Amino acid sequence: MTRDHGLAVAGLHCEVDGKQILRGIDLAVEPGRVHALMGPNGSGKTTLALALAGHPHYTVTAGTATLDGADLLALSPDKRAKAGLFLSFQYPAAIPGVKVANFLYAARQAVRPGDLTPAKFRGLLLEKMDALGMDPSFLGRYINDGFSGGEKKRLEMLQMAVLAPRVAVLDETDSGLDVDALKHIGESIESLRASEAGKETGLLVITHYPRILRYVKPDVVHVMLDGRIVKTGEAELANRIEREGYDTVRAESGAVA
Amino acid sequence: MLSLGDDALAEDVRRAALERFRALPSGRERPGRYWRVDLDALTIDDLRIDSSSGSVEILCSDSRVRLGEAPRLGSTSAGASKFGALATAFANRFALVTVPAGVDVEAPIVVTYRADAGEAVFPFTHVHLERGARATIVERIDAGKNAFVCGIMEIVTEESSDVRVATYQNAADARILSTRAALPGKDSTLSISTADLGGSLVVGEIDVALLATGSDTRIASIFFPDGTQHVDLRSNIEHRVGEATSLTTVKSAATGRGQARYVGNIRIAAQAQKSAASLRDDALILSRNAHIDSVPALEIAANDVKAYHGATVGALDAETLFYMMSRGIARDAAERMVILGFFESAIEQFPEMLREEMREAVEAKVA
Repeated sequence: MTRDHGLAVAGLHCEVDGKQILRGIDLAVEPGRVHALMGPNGSGKTTLALALAGHPHYTVTAGTATLDGADLLALSPDKRAKAGLFLSFQYPAAIPGVKVANFLYAARQAVRPGDLTPAKFRGLLLEKMDALGMDPSFLGRYINDGFSGGEKKRLEMLQMAVLAPRVAVLDETDSGLDVDALKHIGESIESLRASEAGKETGLLVITHYPRILRYVKPDVVHVMLDGRIVKTGEAELANRIEREGYDTVRAESGAVA
Repeated sequence: MLSLGDDALAEDVRRAALERFRALPSGRERPGRYWRVDLDALTIDDLRIDSSSGSVEILCSDSRVRLGEAPRLGSTSAGASKFGALATAFANRFALVTVPAGVDVEAPIVVTYRADAGEAVFPFTHVHLERGARATIVERIDAGKNAFVCGIMEIVTEESSDVRVATYQNAADARILSTRAALPGKDSTLSISTADLGGSLVVGEIDVALLATGSDTRIASIFFPDGTQHVDLRSNIEHRVGEATSLTTVKSAATGRGQARYVGNIRIAAQAQKSAASLRDDALILSRNAHIDSVPALEIAANDVKAYHGATVGALDAETLFYMMSRGIARDAAERMVILGFFESAIEQFPEMLREEMREAVEAKVA
């Protein structure tokens, strides 16, 4: 796999309000593959996600990030999305007065201008909603306005399905979900991956707990501590963390608590 | 040359009103910190007005509605304020609408007042709903550059009636002063929506006196000064009897050097037990030189009421814009969507026939 295929991050340093959070991240997410990024609270997982998406409060001080060879760090957040990056937010914003259908159409038009007529787009939307177990009445609701935690995460997954990105970063998509909702989200991610458009999507699944990985099977598992990826392994690594917690990895890596 | 007309209002009523106008302060004689307009200094001496100035057009497809009839003309407080008195003194275009008992008027009755550039018009709208009647009234003001529009709207309703009144203007650089007063009947439903998107100076007053129990009043106001526009809006809801509800929603934005002030008063009298009153005012500031002063005030003398007021004034939320941009939407498009969305819940309180035009007018200000 070459660097100009999928997401490639090298030596990424990032600070927030003058505080160093990421201290050299190296990571490659290839299309069609699932990478899990695990780590305790405060290890920098969300910072990595927001830095990649171009959040204005997150300042990259060193390193590179490319998507299919395009320099993400040189692009504004909307252009990163057009380059094929998608971020599923841990806390998606509510946008009163902006309907789900209109928002998704604007997003799809921005990312893939003119590829679908409004009628065809609506067909695609209904199909994806059906796969996610979402009622069509969702389309007339305002974005995340008064949504439950589960509904917000489902809307994030719908957006991912509609935008069909090259690489999607799912930031704690499992947080705040009960077991049933988690199972549903997990299954719907799997079914999206099985679809024609989703087959080529690379996933970076950021999670605190390994439980979502029962539904979305990772090809690679990374463990992040104190702003660095300290261990990378196969799916078994997630099981080990479930049994032993992060302390053994921390001890092995020699990272300072 | 000013002249006191001689049609629907008696000359002594007009003369008394002119006296009141000259004697009264505007009630806005203490400008806010950013407010630069002295309403008491507003002059009328340079106005070109005669009985033929301006025009009114009334579109009503229901023959049961009685036009030109207003048995309770002047029964509201509309003529008591400074500009209400001025409007009474010179009222020259009338829309007098009475909806008979039990009549349900399906299509909106549309009243359009027009003033050409430099022209003055003094509109007088009187809406009367008899017992159990139902209707929607849309009032539009089309005014040219430097026009002067000073109008009154009276709404008087009887028991169990249901009326929706919407006023909309996206005029050129005109001065537009509107005084609106309502007297809802027992167990009636009243909705007043006002949208001021045009005009160089807009002064609005909405007075609702709740004198009968069981009524439900909803007020929705939208304004959005840009360029050098000024908007000064005041709503007063007087709960004088109990068991009536009022819900006031104000959505405003300002950009360019636009300035606005909103004063929202709710008074609940000691005897008005089991009143419910809510006032919500949200303002968006979209440029460094734009200002909105928001002054909500609740005065409650009764002890068994439900009352709420809340106000927010702020800029566009950076997290929301980032979220939208992360979906590929460019910043300026995201801003437009958020601003339109901000107004949407208030726009939806307007009759369907106005909504698309309102969205376009808002969008034009942020293009």
